[in-house]
Amino acid sequence: MKKFLSVVLALAMLLSFASFALADYSGDVKIWVAENVVDFTKEQVEAFKAANPEYANMNVIVEPVGEGDAASNIITDVEAGADIFGFAQDQLARLVAAGALLDVEPGNAEKVAAENDAGSVAAVTLGETMYAYPMTSDNGYFLYYDKSVLSDPSSMEQILADCEAAGKNFYMEINSGWYQTAFFFGAGAQLTFESNDEGQLVKMNSGYASDNGVKALKSIIKVAASPAFVNGSSVSNANNICAIVDGTWDATAAKEALGENYAAAKLPTVDGYQMSGFGGFKMLGVKPQTDDDKLEACDALAAYLTSEEVQIARYNAVGWGPSNLNAQQNEAVQADEALSALAAQLAFCEPQGQYPGEYWSLATALGDDVIADKLDNADDATLLETLKNFEATCEGYLSK
Amino acid sequence: MTDLEYLKLSKPAKMLYDIKHFLAALPGRIGNGLKKLFLSIWNALKNLGHGIADLVPTFINGDWKTKVSYFVMGFGSCARGQWGRGILFFVFQTLFNLYMFFPNAQFSGLYYLGKLSTLGTIETHKEGRRTVYGDNSFFILLYGVLTIFFIIGFIYTWYVNIKQNKISEEILKSGHKLKTTKDDLASLMDEQFHKTLLALPVLGVTVFTILPIIFMILVAFTNFDMTHQPPGKLFTWVGWDNFRTLLSTDTTSYGNTFRQVLLWTLIWAFFATFLNYFLGMLVAIMINKKGIKLKKVWRTILVMTIAIPQFVSLLYVSKMFAADGLINTYLMKWGWISAPIPFWTQPGWARFTIILINIWIGIPYLMLIATGILMNIPEDLYESARIDGANAFQMYQKITLPYMLFVTGPYLLTSFTGNINNFNVIYLLSQGKPLSLELSGNAGYTDLLITWLYKMTVSDTNYKLAAVMGILVFVVLAVINLIAYNLIPSVKNEEDFQ
Repeated sequence: MKKFLSVVLALAMLLSFASFALADYSGDVKIWVAENVVDFTKEQVEAFKAANPEYANMNVIVEPVGEGDAASNIITDVEAGADIFGFAQDQLARLVAAGALLDVEPGNAEKVAAENDAGSVAAVTLGETMYAYPMTSDNGYFLYYDKSVLSDPSSMEQILADCEAAGKNFYMEINSGWYQTAFFFGAGAQLTFESNDEGQLVKMNSGYASDNGVKALKSIIKVAASPAFVNGSSVSNANNICAIVDGTWDATAAKEALGENYAAAKLPTVDGYQMSGFGGFKMLGVKPQTDDDKLEACDALAAYLTSEEVQIARYNAVGWGPSNLNAQQNEAVQADEALSALAAQLAFCEPQGQYPGEYWSLATALGDDVIADKLDNADDATLLETLKNFEATCEGYLSK
Repeated sequence: MTDLEYLKLSKPAKMLYDIKHFLAALPGRIGNGLKKLFLSIWNALKNLGHGIADLVPTFINGDWKTKVSYFVMGFGSCARGQWGRGILFFVFQTLFNLYMFFPNAQFSGLYYLGKLSTLGTIETHKEGRRTVYGDNSFFILLYGVLTIFFIIGFIYTWYVNIKQNKISEEILKSGHKLKTTKDDLASLMDEQFHKTLLALPVLGVTVFTILPIIFMILVAFTNFDMTHQPPGKLFTWVGWDNFRTLLSTDTTSYGNTFRQVLLWTLIWAFFATFLNYFLGMLVAIMINKKGIKLKKVWRTILVMTIAIPQFVSLLYVSKMFAADGLINTYLMKWGWISAPIPFWTQPGWARFTIILINIWIGIPYLMLIATGILMNIPEDLYESARIDGANAFQMYQKITLPYMLFVTGPYLLTSFTGNINNFNVIYLLSQGKPLSLELSGNAGYTDLLITWLYKMTVSDTNYKLAAVMGILVFVVLAVINLIAYNLIPSVKNEEDFQ
């Protein structure tokens, strides 16, 4: 009996050594991505396993969790959250501050920095530390319009006049902190935040409370006052569209809604200045791991899922514009109508950095006040006062 | 004022008198309540004192079995042949010791108890690229509270154990026999049956209701928010800071927003409850009237709104009222308005629209309730009123309304409470929008306390303020309910309609 036991033990030891040498990691890895890329991600994970036999036995679970929810869910319960998850760059500082995001493996970080466009690299970096793998560089907005109605999509005044004349709607979500910047940045009023390596926002650079800011706010008020104006940015929720400020994710819906009159262009000029806005990015992050082997596996998988080939494959599968420089030169990517309009617009845009979570609701509050006509008859001094308060409130969000 | 004088008063004057009377009596009643409370606490303390004082003589005068029981619970019971009780006591003591002094410190009660005063001091850090988690403030708070519960339970059980020894000694001294385990079991099915029945519910309520409530109340005194999120970060005690933030009297920031939201919550609850109530009753009366044809059709049409889930109908209706929605589009097409009506974007309009839509979904319920009650009012009351020459409004005022109010008083109260916490309607229709620079913390003009609380927890992960809000919502509800409960006719004139 004793002999038998020792043989079994010895065998078990041998087996464990053998498995140690063969497979680096064979446990579970959970991935959260947006619903429309779940199948695509599953395929790519299989390809990854095929290319890396040491991870062949790894059990990868891909679950559909939207980019907005992923960050909130992870922060609510880090331990139950996914090991690798997709999110948009506005969540980065929040995730890092909550201790829910691991920095990129230094070896990978160099490669990422060299292969992706500058905006996306800046977007995944806080202070000196890179925290996520850029996946797309297509989170920006531009103009979809009905070419049978609009004679000249390059001037806001003309667009509004044409829309009003045709009795059709002009859509722009001016109560969103994301779309509002088209006016402020365009007029030359900046708003950026600087963060330290821990994801805490420590400094604000703002030019909102200035003549430029007042100019931008007046443009917003002017646009909102047009009878053709409707607050909104989703083609599927809009009707009677003349023009809509929206992004590439709605390209299919826009094509359907506008039919053969579908056209896309960069944002127009308003009050004599070119509208600007955010260039945005989606990224993959790895959450803090307590197991070295698993960590290595997660690093490798995240790097693979954001590599050049996978970014091109992702564009072909679901139309997400790549952040990888080589992938951007791909023929199919270059021929895309909406992506070219976006590219034209991105020339005037600022890469979206980090903003405090409260900024977004504050900007919505500003937009809601404009839509509610609270500022319609305000003089410049009052508008400046409003922007000063806005700026002061923003400053209050900084970590002390 | 004598009864006769009171009865002579007009209805509003009576009500005024009632309210005055109630308010005048309020301090006295609160005083009485407090006195009762203090008395009962005092009595409990006195009993506790006696109990503790009793421990020493019991030890000195007790036999050796009792003495050992001070250290090994259940020993005395076992030694005297009451095995069932003894073993239960001993098992409980063993479990308690195991929990408190578990060899793996991370899981022992003593560990959590020791950290409770700081909620953890060891920060999460990294060794190379690997993350090593430090203290988890969340679990320390949760298990710390659980441990305190456990300790109180243990002390109580220990005390019972000693008392049992004393009683057993006395029984044996007087020459009687002790209950055997079999007798104990039999009594649990007989004269102690209430204990058998209630054991599980009491345990369940303690673990799943009382413990979380205490936990949540304690969170209100910490800085648990998005930048202090376990397991990555620690949070700690901050005293009354959060209450100060929310109740501050300055005109900016949270204090002001809280007052505005509270005011709108009360206005909303008032209109949502009483408009629905009276309009629903009106509709029921109209449909019930003799000579109205197709009664069932009218009722069916109205009840349809109940049949469609609110999630569907409310989201749809909210879209209908949007700037580019059905209503605005048609009004503009027909040339009645030149610009869209800002149903959702102007604070005033948004509030009005919400109350309006709530009427639409609320009336059917009231109509159903009122229909049933109206049919119950004795027809002879109306007949005699008619003979006396009363008109329709007088009959409504003197017969229908008092009867309705009497029967539905408690319903009105619960519905008012329900409306203060009416999350669905508000969140599905407007999500609390429009926001404004004049409000803080993501709150909007149509936010109720409860939807604001939801935003705080879900989108802002601001648990500390949300916990304070939860406490304040409870206070608001308790105060309103206590006052209203004492004023409704069903309680005050309990025998009127019997």
